[in-house]
Amino acid sequence: MTKMLAELPGIERIRQRFVEMLDERQTLIATHGLAAWDGTTVDEIKGNLASAQAILHQIAGSAGSLGFEELGRLARKCETQIVEHLAGPRANHADCPIEIISELDGFVAHCRQEIDAHA
Amino acid sequence: MRILAVDDDPIILELLGQFVEIIGAHDLTTAPSALHAVDMLGDPNLEPIDCFMLDIQMPGMDGIELAQHIRNSARHADTPILMLTAMSDKRYIDAAFAAGATDYVTKPFEIAELKARIGLVEGMVKERQQRTKKIFAAKTIADQATHMELFEPVPIYDVDNVIDYTAMENYVAQLSRSALFGSTAFAFTIREVDAFHATMTSFEFYSLVSDVAEILSDTLVDHQVLMSYAGNGTFVCVTESGWRPNMGGLMDAVNFELSQTELFDNNGERVHPRVSAGEAVRLIWKSGNSVMDALAQAHASAEAASEAHTRSLNDFWQNDQQA
Repeated sequence: MTKMLAELPGIERIRQRFVEMLDERQTLIATHGLAAWDGTTVDEIKGNLASAQAILHQIAGSAGSLGFEELGRLARKCETQIVEHLAGPRANHADCPIEIISELDGFVAHCRQEIDAHA
Repeated sequence: MRILAVDDDPIILELLGQFVEIIGAHDLTTAPSALHAVDMLGDPNLEPIDCFMLDIQMPGMDGIELAQHIRNSARHADTPILMLTAMSDKRYIDAAFAAGATDYVTKPFEIAELKARIGLVEGMVKERQQRTKKIFAAKTIADQATHMELFEPVPIYDVDNVIDYTAMENYVAQLSRSALFGSTAFAFTIREVDAFHATMTSFEFYSLVSDVAEILSDTLVDHQVLMSYAGNGTFVCVTESGWRPNMGGLMDAVNFELSQTELFDNNGERVHPRVSAGEAVRLIWKSGNSVMDALAQAHASAEAASEAHTRSLNDFWQNDQQA
């Protein structure tokens, strides 16, 4: 987080809100990730991955501005992986790549560490 | 400035609120979705917005569609639009510029960058207020004294893929941050544009430039091209699609379309504009300022081609008289 950013008068309140929302968001990401992994149709898998990607996109967009640079970087990495998968030929297969689930799993674990650290 | 920020992430809206508070005397209004923003903009009691900040990726209506909606409204057709985006959104950035975006700010925000962009927008708002006054004044036939300068890069409205010149400069600047393998700059200049400018009212001249822009846009419709009026009768174009334009063939196609289109001045006299094309300048291996130089090179070569054409006509008539 840049020095000027750290000096914003309301930044601590926004960071606190971000962490509270992160708790809800990581649960949603895990839920969509599992639903994609268990999904049996192309639409079900793609829909759940797209939902997870939308949440990751939000985290990636704001985490870095609030001092959670590593969280933002991991969110962007997961997001990019899903975007590339959905744009590629495997998107129309009724299976969800384990690499995506593994990356999401790591991301959710990192979210929990951040939440615990700010509890 | 009165700023409307639209983002589906409440954290981003709160952050923007903090930023705007410390960077100056601006008034920030927020909307959590594009549809909310559309509703707000439809309110006749809403005070005019001086600057929009739009997230590109939003569920439902996205920032690109919202930018198009804003550009289609008479009230905000000319209002600067800053897109809020991640660098990974490159595929959306081009579409955002084509939809009418002026520039973009990347997430996560750097306060210095945001401050600089908003500062630029403030300058644009002041400049546009002057320009808008001129255009509206020019539309009033009674006020023939108002004059638009030949070199002014006036914005052209309602023509597909034609963007404001400031937006074009921002677009080219962002191109230099990515792969330029398939990118080419080229330009067209209206021949003897100074003569048109000298004999027409500002409104007639503006209409002529808009008509030529429309024909250029129609001619280039099958290619992924963004175009801008740079002033002095010159339109600069950039394609990223890998297409290598055949400038001679394109010039002929544009001039054929111009010959088939009936354009008139205020006296009902038909006008016959034609264009000259410059060289196509590939942007590969260029970076930073040299990309802007390439745009200037394309621009200059079109103007040189136009001047050469005029000279050759004069030489032809002089030689003919001597013979």
